Amino acid sequence: MTVLVLGMGNPILSDDGVGLHVARRLRETPLPDEVEVAESEVAGLRLLELVRGFTKVIIIDALKSGRQPGEIIRVDSKDFRGGQRYGSAHSIRLDTALELGHRLGYPMPDEVIVYAVEAVDVETFGEELSPPVAEAAERVVVMVRGELGLGPS
Amino acid sequence: MKKISIDPITRLEGHGKIEIFVDDAGEVANVYFQVPELRGFERFCVGRPVEELARITPRICGVCPEAHHLASTKAIDGVFGVEPTPTAKKLRELLYSSFFAGDHTTHFFVLAGPDFVVGPTAPPAERNILGVIAKVGLEIGGAVIKMRADSAEVIEILGGKAIHPVCGLPGGVSKALSAEERDRIVEIAKGQVEFSKVALKIFDDVVLANSAYVDLIKSEAFTHQTYYMGTVDEQNKVNFYDGKIRVVDPDGKEYVKYEAKDYLSHLAEHVEPYSYLVYPYLKGVGWKGFVDGKDSGVYRASPLSRLNAADGMTTPLAQAEYERMYATLGGKPVHATLATHWARLVELMYASERTLELAQDPDITNPDVRNIPTGIVGEGVGCVEAPRGTLYHHYTTDEKGMVTKVNLIVGTTNNNAAISMSLKKAAMGLINKDTEISEGLLNMIEMAFRAYDPCFGCATHTLPGQMPLEVIVKDAATHEVLRTARRFM
Repeated sequence: MTVLVLGMGNPILSDDGVGLHVARRLRETPLPDEVEVAESEVAGLRLLELVRGFTKVIIIDALKSGRQPGEIIRVDSKDFRGGQRYGSAHSIRLDTALELGHRLGYPMPDEVIVYAVEAVDVETFGEELSPPVAEAAERVVVMVRGELGLGPS
Repeated sequence: MKKISIDPITRLEGHGKIEIFVDDAGEVANVYFQVPELRGFERFCVGRPVEELARITPRICGVCPEAHHLASTKAIDGVFGVEPTPTAKKLRELLYSSFFAGDHTTHFFVLAGPDFVVGPTAPPAERNILGVIAKVGLEIGGAVIKMRADSAEVIEILGGKAIHPVCGLPGGVSKALSAEERDRIVEIAKGQVEFSKVALKIFDDVVLANSAYVDLIKSEAFTHQTYYMGTVDEQNKVNFYDGKIRVVDPDGKEYVKYEAKDYLSHLAEHVEPYSYLVYPYLKGVGWKGFVDGKDSGVYRASPLSRLNAADGMTTPLAQAEYERMYATLGGKPVHATLATHWARLVELMYASERTLELAQDPDITNPDVRNIPTGIVGEGVGCVEAPRGTLYHHYTTDEKGMVTKVNLIVGTTNNNAAISMSLKKAAMGLINKDTEISEGLLNMIEMAFRAYDPCFGCATHTLPGQMPLEVIVKDAATHEVLRTARRFM
């Protein structure tokens, strides 16, 4: 079994960089050989290219949904699949990318889990996370390690 | 009056919105579109060493980092007053051509294609890449993925990194191309030319063979007579990486041709109280409002604009397709907004052929890829054709090369006024008092928007992964919401 932990986001749009921040923090902790940690600044079809061949994928990203800043939600990609699928002008959704991979017969992960952190600001250029998001990032590190069957480092 | 808006799913922030106001008679009174605003870019850049901007600006948006990297690198050449070596210029253009091939492929098959291949009024759940492969075959899906992967491989060979290349340095590039790497790029480019033929064949079979689509493309609702902008070489042929900026009038006659560094003499920006968007226009013609015609300074910069603004393509297959497009659509210039999709495929062929041509250039493996800067000018303008329009980067620095001022005009911004006009005209053409405002109809209005392949520097990944778009129909007097459609754009 191989696991990809994928931090996603934009490193210069404040809280949008939380996924990248978590990926870097995780790399500083001891991890088994079968776990790979990667960062991606783009989504859509690129996701399909990144997740191919892994058994399990854990994605960390920012979310804007009106929840409390710093709130963390864990979503199984199966829940994404049940949602509405719309055509898009610039990118395709995670579920569409995964479904495309399945239809094309690529070795796709059995499980894709998303940890999303409710952001305060993803529209101002900056390299810092807001305090609630920075605090949440530390909790996500522990949660992802738990997901991998590891204790807090 | 009533209002129609196109709005997203839940309380998502940072979404695009199209609002359509309908009057008491049931006719469209006005249409506005709004997109999220990113804040503080100039403040983020000021005080940094200017050469960092070539690595920062590509992160403004996840869609065309390569365009920003090269426009930025060219602006930095200017700041240091250094001219890249001939081979370095070719290597930059080689990277850029391959990027264009991948980007245009994605737009046609994944983003715009579903409207034509699956149908403009098909249910949204089917109107996506999955619907496209269900219709034209699974192998096309694989070919699209391969095209993207191949394009990324060329960018990685030349740029060091697949998504955010880092090769551009003032005076050249960081790395020469080996013979072995060149052979690999030649192999990839040959495949890209073949793929471009397939893409054009699909456009022929699916779009041009369907008279309803051809009528839609040519219809008045999707037509605007504007000025057109694009970069041309010395023979006035399309070039994506370098040349002069040429603008033609609505009759197709050259209005002006200028060096990128002189852009402020030719362009000005109009602002509206209801929006933070800026609307660039041709200074010499003047701002006359959101109207088309020769007296209005509104111009467009898009694949179709580039073809209209040039006298042709430099590569044979792209030139043949260019001629066929104009012959089919009634000569130059073509004002039909939806013909932009065809123009994008002509450019896809050109990008593929140009990649092959540059990779086969005997000079491409020359190790002389850098002129080291020896002084500082303190100001530079860099310009390339981004897939969505002419991209300008303009930097000013102090005597140590630390940034003091940054001004960008990104591809889509050129088209802000035209996008507003296109939405309004499509809405007016499609909605009247007897119309039932259906999902399919709102999508047809969005098609006017999608043709521009708009990119608003949105945060690309904040879940759910793309910028949502909302269309709201409102009563123009009471602002009562009559109909809402939500989707991800």
